[in-house]
Amino acid sequence: MKIAVMSCIHGNYAALDAVLLDIDQQQAEKIYCLGDLVGYGPYPNAVVEQIRSLDIPTVQGCWDEDIVEGLNACECSYPSLLAEKRGKIAHEWTNKQVNPEVREYLAQLPHTYKEDNLCFVHGSPNSNHEYLLPEMDAFTALERVLSSDADILFCGHTHVPYVRTLDSGQLQVTVHQPSKNEQPTVSFNTPLKRIINVGSVGEPRHGRPNATYVIYDTETTAVNLREVEYDYQTTCAAILDAGLPPIFAWRLARGLEFAEKADDPTHVCER
Amino acid sequence: MWAILSGIEGNIAAYEAVLADIKRQRVKVEQLYILGDIVAANPDSEKVIKRIQNPLPGELEPQVCIGWWEEQCFALHGLGSTAEPTELIARFGKETAKLLWDSLSRETVQWLRNCHFGFFELDCLLIHGSTISVSDELTPQTPPWQMLDRLQRVQANHLFCGRSGQVFEYQLQGGSVNSSVMTLDQPHPVQTITAPKRRVVGVGNVGRELGKATYTLYSPYSDSLEFKTVYYGSKKGFGN
Repeated sequence: MKIAVMSCIHGNYAALDAVLLDIDQQQAEKIYCLGDLVGYGPYPNAVVEQIRSLDIPTVQGCWDEDIVEGLNACECSYPSLLAEKRGKIAHEWTNKQVNPEVREYLAQLPHTYKEDNLCFVHGSPNSNHEYLLPEMDAFTALERVLSSDADILFCGHTHVPYVRTLDSGQLQVTVHQPSKNEQPTVSFNTPLKRIINVGSVGEPRHGRPNATYVIYDTETTAVNLREVEYDYQTTCAAILDAGLPPIFAWRLARGLEFAEKADDPTHVCER
Repeated sequence: MWAILSGIEGNIAAYEAVLADIKRQRVKVEQLYILGDIVAANPDSEKVIKRIQNPLPGELEPQVCIGWWEEQCFALHGLGSTAEPTELIARFGKETAKLLWDSLSRETVQWLRNCHFGFFELDCLLIHGSTISVSDELTPQTPPWQMLDRLQRVQANHLFCGRSGQVFEYQLQGGSVNSSVMTLDQPHPVQTITAPKRRVVGVGNVGRELGKATYTLYSPYSDSLEFKTVYYGSKKGFGN
C-alpha cells in the first residue's frame, strides 16, 4: 500500500493544495501528517480545516503545541536572537488568528502515532522540539528509532527531507555485579531501521521553494521523496498582506532558513 | 580516590557507617560525591542534611547533587518543574507526601534547591538518574543503545548514577552500525560508524536497606573501581 506522509504545512494553503493534488496523482491510499499545521504562514485556520475534513491522522508539532499551551520553547530553539524575535511575532499573529475550534483540534493531537511497524512523530520520540538531523550520530539516531518500537520512524521539523538507513547495528556489553557470577560479554544486534524525514509542505528549507513530502510503499519499502512546484508567490504576497515579517516571504521564495542549525539541535527544551 | 554514594534517604545511621568506612580506607579519599536522594519521607532527613552541611574536623565536604526525592520536595513546595508532586503520590500515596512535607523545613528545601543537577569531572558524569532526568533509572537490564545515548548526550566516558540503588558496572565494549543517507539531491555512501568503549556504574544505595549500605570507590587516575558494602547496627561485623 502506498502512503503519503507530510509535515510542517505552516499555514501555507496553496502548498497544501498542490501536495494533495500530487498525492492524488501518485495514487497514495492513505495520508499522514506530522504536525506544524500553523505558524509562519497566512492561512492557519484554512489548513487545519482541510486536514480535519480529510480525516488525516496527525501528530502535534511544536508550533501547534505552542498555540495551545502558550509560547513554551526557550531561546535555544532559535539560531539567533533575531530569529527568536521573528518567531515570537509569528506566534502572536497566529495566536490571534486561530479560531476556538482550530485551537481545540490542535490541543487534542497526540505526540506520537503508531501503526504496525511505522511510527509518526513531529521532531523525535523524545520531544517535538528535537531535530533529527541527517548528520546526527548514527547510534543516537538508532536509539531514537528503537525507542519508538518501530522499524520506520517518520519525522519532520527540520524542513529538509532525507532517508537515513541504519543497518547491522551491534553493541557488545559486559555487566559486572558483585552479587552475581562473572557474566559473559553479550552482543546486541538490531535489524534494519530507517528514519524518514518528510521535509516541509509549506516552509521548505532544502534550497528551492517547492513543497516536499514523501510517498512510502509499505509492501516494497520504497521511499519516494517528492518535490512539488506550486505558486509560492501567492503565499508570499499573502504573508506581506497579513503584516507578517517580510523575511518569511523572502525565505519561502528561496527555500532557505537555517533555524535547524541551532548550537545544540538535540537539546530538548523543558521550559 | 573518589567515594561516590547515593540514596541516604534520611538514614543517619547508614550515612555515619559509610563515613566511618571511608575513613578506614588505606588509599586516601579526596572527594566525596553524594548523588541525590539524601532525604526521603523519613523524620531523620533534617539530621542528614545538617550532618552534610557540617562535616567534622578532618572530614571531606561532600559534593551534593539532587535526586528523585529532592525533586519531589521541590514539587511539594511549588519550586519544581511540575506544579504537583504527581509522581510521588502515584508511587507512594498522599500519606508519604505528607510525611515528606513534615520531614523538611522550608529552609532546608531552599538549600537543596541550590544543589547541582550533576557533576562533570574529567571524563566522568556523576548524576542521580541520567542526563534525561532524576527519574531515569539505569540498571543492568537497560538496553545498550539507551546507555550509549545517555553517555553521548554529554560526551562522557563514565557515567555514575544512583537511581536504581543497585551496584553494577555496565561496560559498553564497542560496536558498529552502517549508516547511509539519501537526500533530494544525492545519495551519500554507506559509512560504518564505530562506538568507543564506555561505562555506566550503579553506585549503590546507602540508606534504603536497614543494616546494609553500599557505595563505590573510584580512582580516576588508575581507573580502578571498587564496590563497598557496609553492615551496621545489628548486622555489624560482616563488612567487606
